[in-house]
Amino acid sequence: MSSHDQREPEAELGLLDATMIGMGAMIGAGIFVLTGLAAEISGPAALLVFMLNGVVTAFTGLSYAELASAIPKSGGGYAFVREIFDDFGSFIMGWMLWFAYMIAGALYALGFAPNFLELLHVYDVVAPPDQVGAVVLPLLGVGVPPNFVLAFVAVAGLVALNAASTAASGSAETIFTIIKVSILVVFVAFGFFSAGGGGETSFTFQNFDPLFTEGSGAFSILPAMGLTFIAFEGYDLITTVTEEVENPRENIPKAIFVSLAATVVVYLLVVTVAIGTLGATELAAAGEAGIAAAATSFMPTGVPLIQNGGALIVFGAVFSTITALNAVVIASSRVAFSMGREGQLVQSIGQIHHRFGTPFVAVLVSAVVMLGSVVLPTQSAGNMSSLFFLLSFIIVNVAVIRLRRERPNMNRPYEIPYYPIPPILGIVLNGILAVVLIRFLIQTDMLALLLSIGWLAAGAVMYVALNKYRERIATDEAEPTADQPATDGGGDD
Amino acid sequence: MTRDIIIAGGGRVGFQTAELLAARDENVTIIERDEDRVAEIADAWIATVIEGDASDPDIIEQAGIENADTIAALTEVTGLNLAVCLLATRLTDEIRTVARVDRETNETYDRFVDAVVYPEEAGARVAANKTAGEEVQTLTAVTGDIEILEVRVAEGAPAAGRTLTDVSFPAGTLVISGEDASRIAQPDTTLTPGSQFVVAVEPGVVDEVLQLMRG
Repeated sequence: MSSHDQREPEAELGLLDATMIGMGAMIGAGIFVLTGLAAEISGPAALLVFMLNGVVTAFTGLSYAELASAIPKSGGGYAFVREIFDDFGSFIMGWMLWFAYMIAGALYALGFAPNFLELLHVYDVVAPPDQVGAVVLPLLGVGVPPNFVLAFVAVAGLVALNAASTAASGSAETIFTIIKVSILVVFVAFGFFSAGGGGETSFTFQNFDPLFTEGSGAFSILPAMGLTFIAFEGYDLITTVTEEVENPRENIPKAIFVSLAATVVVYLLVVTVAIGTLGATELAAAGEAGIAAAATSFMPTGVPLIQNGGALIVFGAVFSTITALNAVVIASSRVAFSMGREGQLVQSIGQIHHRFGTPFVAVLVSAVVMLGSVVLPTQSAGNMSSLFFLLSFIIVNVAVIRLRRERPNMNRPYEIPYYPIPPILGIVLNGILAVVLIRFLIQTDMLALLLSIGWLAAGAVMYVALNKYRERIATDEAEPTADQPATDGGGDD
Repeated sequence: MTRDIIIAGGGRVGFQTAELLAARDENVTIIERDEDRVAEIADAWIATVIEGDASDPDIIEQAGIENADTIAALTEVTGLNLAVCLLATRLTDEIRTVARVDRETNETYDRFVDAVVYPEEAGARVAANKTAGEEVQTLTAVTGDIEILEVRVAEGAPAAGRTLTDVSFPAGTLVISGEDASRIAQPDTTLTPGSQFVVAVEPGVVDEVLQLMRG
């Protein structure tokens, strides 16, 4: 989305549109991609995982509401933190949020691929997903898994679209979200109807007994919470379109709360049905295509036009992952663009293209990281993205507290009730999840942990290098006529 | 690059100024004393608002004076505006100060502030234009919502060094003058860095035009 669409004199998005943007970002892909993985870690307790994550994220939602109502900027979390933190603090925030969105992009692309194959399989275009052979690249002569190729193509296509043209604005997002939610409602309805049908995958509460998988106990839900946390990051996206919303100081906080509440309800229903029909074990086995697999098991066949009712849900998964991917391509480039505008990344990242009017360089740079990340296992991508969202949400909560202390007179149209308890709980709970997730990574996913540390280290190096470079420019400009020392003369590039 | 600008006084002059600057994509913070006025400004969604007295050092600090590039004191009281600017220069080095005055000052304030504005004079010019008839008009008064800007092309900006045919400006933009306002712009006019161009822009796309020409 280019800045062309912002600052229009008349606000055009209503409360419904803003709510739908938030829901669209959350219900995007997390539920389709991560339900199977959550079931793998914590069994039927995956239901609790989604419920508790909704509670944890609500505290940060309150902080977002207060900041968004007081700081009229469209940059999301980075813009809020920039308001109160020093250069390095806000740089790290932007750097982490940028990464979280890029990895989320890879995650959605990886979720898109198996669901797309499943859709083709339903119509017998290709063999079942696990039997599709490797795609042989004609030039290189090596076989590459089709999932990887599909994910790569999806990212590349959307990046090209967003680099060369300004994307569809919020009103299109409303329609997308209504489609996604309707498909999930159909899924939930048929799932519950299947109860008592006597079929192998009819809905039954026996699938929830025992709730916790044997041996791992109740604490097994903590790492699963960390992994699926990304399914609740949508309100950051609401705060990137605030300028287009009518009566924003009332509607933005409302949109955050309504979208969060509605999303939690939808998630709980969907997860209940998925576990109740397919059972946690089979759900886990289906991985990224878990919801689609559950749907294919109980949806009626012989429906006119689409033949197989399950295909509708698989289509929902394909549609959701691709729209969510588009949203994070835009979101990640926008964070990078804001950082460039604020002088926290190299200047060209903060510039729009002279012909396309898009944040061209920001889109391309984000694309490189996204394309590189589709080689990751889905779970690593989910872990890393969730970890960085958790860390940046901690900073957002700290920003609320610092702003209250240091700028008590700042006008706050929406104030967090029972301050300071919610932001403190937000910091503590997000912190616990981050620590648990890091410990989980040490045990199971060193790759994700090392890449995360590597990204932070690269950020620190980038920050220092950029400041050194700026200082040199500044001193050069300050004494344009001064005699250049002989030692300095040769270093001119 | 976006600049941080503090505006002391969110009355009619301060608010309109904030609105124009926000449209140019600057970060604006307004200091306003009156509670009802604060709510009105918040509804407009253009700036962060600090509620309080602009001559109170604590309030100025809350507005983020440390990192601000410019402070414009635009209340109705000249003495207060001057005090705010002097206070700001005491609180931080390297800040540009702009004070609103209520009479012709003949450069007497130039030692203390970087610029003075006299909105009544500009208002009087508009009134004179309207009163005298429509044959001859001062430029600033006739443009309605369109902004006529003189923009210096920045080194390294996306459009710098390119010809007008090469750059696609957003709809609602007209580059009027060629280099340094001596000729009418042609398709092959080059947007040389460091040169100034007169551009007519509709309010919705001011930020994008400035991003292209200023980076």
